[in-house]
Amino acid sequence: MEQRSIILVERSLIMRTRQGQLGRRIGLLVAVLLLVVFLAAPIAYLGILSVTSQGQMLSGQLWPENPYWDNWPIAFRTVPLVQFLRNSIVAAVLSAIMTLALSFPLAYAVVRLRIGGRFLPSLVLASYAAPPIVAAIPLFFVLRALGLIDQLLGLVLVYGMANVPVAFYLLDNFLMRLPEEIEEAAWLDGAGTIRTMVTIVLPLMAPGVIATGIICGILAYNEFLFALLFTYSPASQTLPVGLSLYQGERLVQYGQMAVASLVGILPVYLLGGLLQRWLIGGLTGGIK
Amino acid sequence: MHETWVKRRRRIGWLLAGPGIVGTVVIALYPLVVLVVLSLSQSSLGQPLRGWVGLDNFGRALADHVFRAALVKTVIYALVVTSLQLILGVAVALLLQQVTRGGALLRTLLLLPVMTPPVMLAVAWRLVLAPSGGLLNRMLQGLGLIEAPVTFLGSPRLAFPAIAIADVWQWMPFVALLTFAGLQLLPREVFEAASLDGAGVFQRFWHCTLPLLAPLLASLFLLRFIMATKLFDLVYVLTAGGPGFTTTVGSFYIYRVAFQQFNIGYAAALTILFGLVVGLTTLPVSRLRQVVQRLEG
Repeated sequence: MEQRSIILVERSLIMRTRQGQLGRRIGLLVAVLLLVVFLAAPIAYLGILSVTSQGQMLSGQLWPENPYWDNWPIAFRTVPLVQFLRNSIVAAVLSAIMTLALSFPLAYAVVRLRIGGRFLPSLVLASYAAPPIVAAIPLFFVLRALGLIDQLLGLVLVYGMANVPVAFYLLDNFLMRLPEEIEEAAWLDGAGTIRTMVTIVLPLMAPGVIATGIICGILAYNEFLFALLFTYSPASQTLPVGLSLYQGERLVQYGQMAVASLVGILPVYLLGGLLQRWLIGGLTGGIK
Repeated sequence: MHETWVKRRRRIGWLLAGPGIVGTVVIALYPLVVLVVLSLSQSSLGQPLRGWVGLDNFGRALADHVFRAALVKTVIYALVVTSLQLILGVAVALLLQQVTRGGALLRTLLLLPVMTPPVMLAVAWRLVLAPSGGLLNRMLQGLGLIEAPVTFLGSPRLAFPAIAIADVWQWMPFVALLTFAGLQLLPREVFEAASLDGAGVFQRFWHCTLPLLAPLLASLFLLRFIMATKLFDLVYVLTAGGPGFTTTVGSFYIYRVAFQQFNIGYAAALTILFGLVVGLTTLPVSRLRQVVQRLEG
């Protein structure tokens, strides 16, 4: 009797799902399409504009019949894009290395050697809550005193320190998931604390460390406020600053503005495409 | 023997942590001290500390209408944009769970906005929203919804929503990806049991998914709220604080006072008050998160 009622319930469930299946599928498809259009529209539009001449755009062609490739060389000639890009990449890579060098030992000391109690981690994380404008004026005076205004090195140092809380948070999560027994075995074998950290923990945590480095590198690559305030000449300006200054000034034509933004966006997308798995691992590392 | 070993390890620990702590102090604590000193002085960018003015800068700041409006706008903007991103992000995460084919591709697509440099994104949105030849105006005109092109970024009513949409584009996917990852970790048995009890889709979402996700969502809300109060890049490129002072938020106003009018003493006072307001509004949000997580734990 009971058996039968269960079968009946199951059957009615199956019927209901079959009826709703088609409608649900269409609804799902529409929702996914809307999402894809929303996500792709701004970047796709940049791509289209980058091969549209000003005349074609004003005449209302959304899709230019003859792509106007001249925007690309003109944009590179009008604005020192290569220089900006080089500065951005140097600042991103060097500062990410510095952030890792500062935050990996810090995270290891807090998580495994248990220093600083609960206060130190909260202090490090709390420093992330302050808006960057708070640090902007004081850091400006420090950099000027050190002769590092308008120097790429100044930006590297600032980014290297500013991203420590983010790196600490990510590394902390990766470390906690690593079983401690392996390290204990190394200690019992007589390996020192620092040797254990470098030769045993670091290789085991390599995926997490690399993901953290990439995230910090992208944060530095994307940073705008400090770069705007601490650099003045194309020799040290990063791409976001260069672009923000030239838009509307020299890059009056939409097509050339689109080219310049694409030049800044494509490297991160390339990196993201290549290292997607690691990146998602890093981003979702905080979820337990 | 054991005690000295523990002590030695602690000493090495402080040694290892040292550089990181110094970095944090330089970037977070030292600026606070400098700001307090500067805020009590008359200072310009070229000549700091020209004289002491007591609390004059603070008095002036409290009477500054543009600044007071900027504080209110910052907080309201952060609340609205964070809520939008959470609601839409959860919806997209649930959508991702339903998708049977192409889910991986969709997740890649969702990763891209998070990585896009905000300035480049702002330039893209400027082009999309441009009055002459912008994508949105062309689409709206094509559909016959408007007759003349709309200057979205020049309109006091539309400028803030335009910034918010660009913000949602950038960060809603972040919420979606993390929520999706969180959904994968939820115990399946709960949902199976609920289905057998005859709970519908909405009931399962409301009584199972949402409570189980609450700690994660509370953390995401706090994180995004803090980030949203830092709004600067989008304002700088999209509206430059305008039209008038419509989109002048805290960070942007301080930037103008400090680095365009070079009034560093006054800017320092503004920064301290801005930091206090952001801190005081973050507190209830972070308290809420603790309560949610305690209920869960």
